[in-house]
Amino acid sequence: MKQITTATILTILAGLLMCPAVGLAKNVDLVTLPARDSVQLTIYNSEDLTLVKETRSVTFKKGVNKLQFSWANTLIDPTSVTFRPLEHKDDVELLDTVFPGQKPQHLIWNVESKFEGQVKVEVTYFTSGLTWSMDYVAITDPDETKLHFRGYVRVFNNSGEEYENANVRLIVGTINLVEKIAELAQRRGIPVPQPSAAPGLYEMLRKSGAKDGIQRAEAPPEPAAKAPVIVKEGLSEYFLFSVSGEETIPNGWSKRMQAVEARDVPFDIVYRMRAYQYGPRPVRFFIWRNDAEHKLGDSPLPDGQVNLFRRNGGDGDGLAFLARQQIRYVPIKAEIEINLGPDDLVVYETRRMGTERLNFHFHAISGPPHEVVDGWDEQTNWVDTIRNYRTKPIKFELRRQWDGDVDYDSEVATTLFDYRTTETTFDIDARGKRQYPATVTVHFGTNATQQRVKLKDNAR
Amino acid sequence: MRYRAFIVILAAALTVGAPAAFGRIKLAALPERERVEIQLDNGNYTLVEEERIVPLLKSGKANNMIDFSWSNTAIDKDSILFRPVAVREGDKFRPVKLIKLADGTEAPEVNVINVAYPPNENALVWEVYSAEACACKVRVSYLISNLTRTFEYRALADKKEKALTLRKYMVLHNYSGEDFLGAGVWAGFGPKFLKEVNQLDDLKLLMAKFTDVPIEKTFTFDWYTHGALNPDKPLASKILMHYRLTNDEKHKMGEFPLQPGKVRIFIEDGRGGEAFLGEDWAALTPLDDTMKLYLGESRDIVCTRIIESKQRHSVRGNLYNQEIVIKYEIENFKDAPAKLRMLEQLNRLGQEYFGNTHGDVEWEKLGKTSKEIRFDYELGNAAPILLVDLPARPEDKDKKVEKVTVRFHVLLKNLWQ
Repeated sequence: MKQITTATILTILAGLLMCPAVGLAKNVDLVTLPARDSVQLTIYNSEDLTLVKETRSVTFKKGVNKLQFSWANTLIDPTSVTFRPLEHKDDVELLDTVFPGQKPQHLIWNVESKFEGQVKVEVTYFTSGLTWSMDYVAITDPDETKLHFRGYVRVFNNSGEEYENANVRLIVGTINLVEKIAELAQRRGIPVPQPSAAPGLYEMLRKSGAKDGIQRAEAPPEPAAKAPVIVKEGLSEYFLFSVSGEETIPNGWSKRMQAVEARDVPFDIVYRMRAYQYGPRPVRFFIWRNDAEHKLGDSPLPDGQVNLFRRNGGDGDGLAFLARQQIRYVPIKAEIEINLGPDDLVVYETRRMGTERLNFHFHAISGPPHEVVDGWDEQTNWVDTIRNYRTKPIKFELRRQWDGDVDYDSEVATTLFDYRTTETTFDIDARGKRQYPATVTVHFGTNATQQRVKLKDNAR
Repeated sequence: MRYRAFIVILAAALTVGAPAAFGRIKLAALPERERVEIQLDNGNYTLVEEERIVPLLKSGKANNMIDFSWSNTAIDKDSILFRPVAVREGDKFRPVKLIKLADGTEAPEVNVINVAYPPNENALVWEVYSAEACACKVRVSYLISNLTRTFEYRALADKKEKALTLRKYMVLHNYSGEDFLGAGVWAGFGPKFLKEVNQLDDLKLLMAKFTDVPIEKTFTFDWYTHGALNPDKPLASKILMHYRLTNDEKHKMGEFPLQPGKVRIFIEDGRGGEAFLGEDWAALTPLDDTMKLYLGESRDIVCTRIIESKQRHSVRGNLYNQEIVIKYEIENFKDAPAKLRMLEQLNRLGQEYFGNTHGDVEWEKLGKTSKEIRFDYELGNAAPILLVDLPARPEDKDKKVEKVTVRFHVLLKNLWQ
């Protein structure tokens, strides 16, 4: 009977409706099941949190009505469940909410109605187990000049509940919670629902005759010819992705839909040599921006994994896999950088060509009097060599960190990235080679007065 | 149990709207693979791309549901791509074209609407729109584990050890759980192969053959790395033998970087046969760089290193210059001339006298240095390599091997304790 328990059910307690003053048997209820008219899921990706808003039509009689809401084997936070009438708002008033001690995952609303007849009501609650993530696929042309960039949202439903034909909205951004929804949902030791491929409430209800909402599901509209449009809009510090149309994601399933697409996105290829950050070999980056110039920029790009491919061209025009990288939230106009790792066709070498010590400083010591070295400069001639075996020119960025009090001199224009890191950029011809000589003087002992690199005038 | 990756077109799902097959009871057609490509250019990931012809129904009441499932193999679910590339028209396929939709926008005539992932299954379901009933050529690509490649080399030197033939192999290891029949295999460079790659197969594929590659056989003496040869010869040390071959056009290579891998080295025995000389791990050798293959120790060259004289010169206070004369006595018992490379690690030499050289030692060569020595700074200024040519042993039986004596006169400057 698992299927019966994995759903939210709004029941109208018929016995009470008929004779509100008379007590009911504790465990025997006669109920009717108003089906959902609509459901909207607002799923957050920074927390395991979804705001569910569903509408149902309930028939009230005049006087006090008891509505029971139950959510067996789901991950709903009981403290978050709210009820409000959408029609006859002045006539329908929620008096109180009772959480029966003997019946976990149930609540009873006592609703006073001055109106008799059908009223559309809204029930909202937080649930966990519904999550979403983003991932991206980028495919470059064979010449590696432009790429086809696509972003996908993937919605996972492990909430224990079947949400049929739901309107899905996704929130990009970080919110603060003081308690986890999953913990609140399980506070009474309620087990976490397991994903199941077995027919859920959908099938059960269809057989049991609660047909109103279900029949709509069985009569789908015209099939989609395009992936659902995902409308993006800013909302305070957040971004809201709204999936057009309605989606059904059974419990345990996930669904992936295209949310972003940009064709012919130009990108830059940059090589970076930063031994302290990327290791001993230069690494290759593909860089573009989330902006209009790069045919993007409608919205921030949420955290997600990028799989980068290249079309091989030619007859087969198959794909080559270039890289996989997790990108962090990319605001509008910010850069996207994908690290492709070392490239065997670009070689960097650095070599000390000679060392000289000079400017010794001595400290006089008494008894017997003598002098000892307590300060000196070490001057080293470095020559870095970059070889490009690619058939295209490359841009090469070199950063090197230096410890101590350093004077840096080079005939090649050099800047400081930070107080101890020199930075130089080279354009290297196809199948070309560049040499980068530098004279580095490090002050030691009493000669050292700083912890920084100072560029000589001609190095700037 | 053998792996199969299946693409199925869910007939049941064609008549029912999304989501496909809640109960996963399927009536399905199984399009066979038309082509498969294994891309091995990324050392960390192997990409498999299959081409199949999928019959699609016109999206009338519902879209096509295409189910892709696999078992007993490690396909990375997050990497799977489905690309409709062509539609059959008559006997030929033409590229998928854009069509105008009712809302005025354009979309491909065959278009993936979404992907659904069932729980607890290695499967996914693509919902695919098709403007017309058609046979569509699709490419399904995915990253797969346990289908990897390594590189191996076989070097055959001529008897005089002046040139060798280098064969480069790619070894494909298929432990993926899948058979790939008629698979295109490509490492991103070199030739493309069409091979049958069965489960548990290791395929060794010849990628390149470089003939008459000039080589240099070197003998290296490195006192500070290897120390005394034995108690009987406390001042002699090991002589290591290498073949050095440069990956450039001048040396009849230079087509692509040589990836790391094991090299088995053989030599022609002059009688039509070959002898095994040993094996070594080759490092990545970019274009224009030199591959060094270690062959073992030479017993036919003996080098003795003697500190002939040393003198400390005071500069000021505790600051000194250290003058040293190192004498090398070398005997070549081989029947061929040889070039000996003597590596002097001057930082270690300075440390012997001062404990600490405070970084790379500052030095200069002085006048007693033998003219026969040539200097190479491949390893940097503080580790010069002293190159000395050695004559072959005399052919005359009565003549002794001539001892070559050379000196390195060095001044280590500005050292203190």
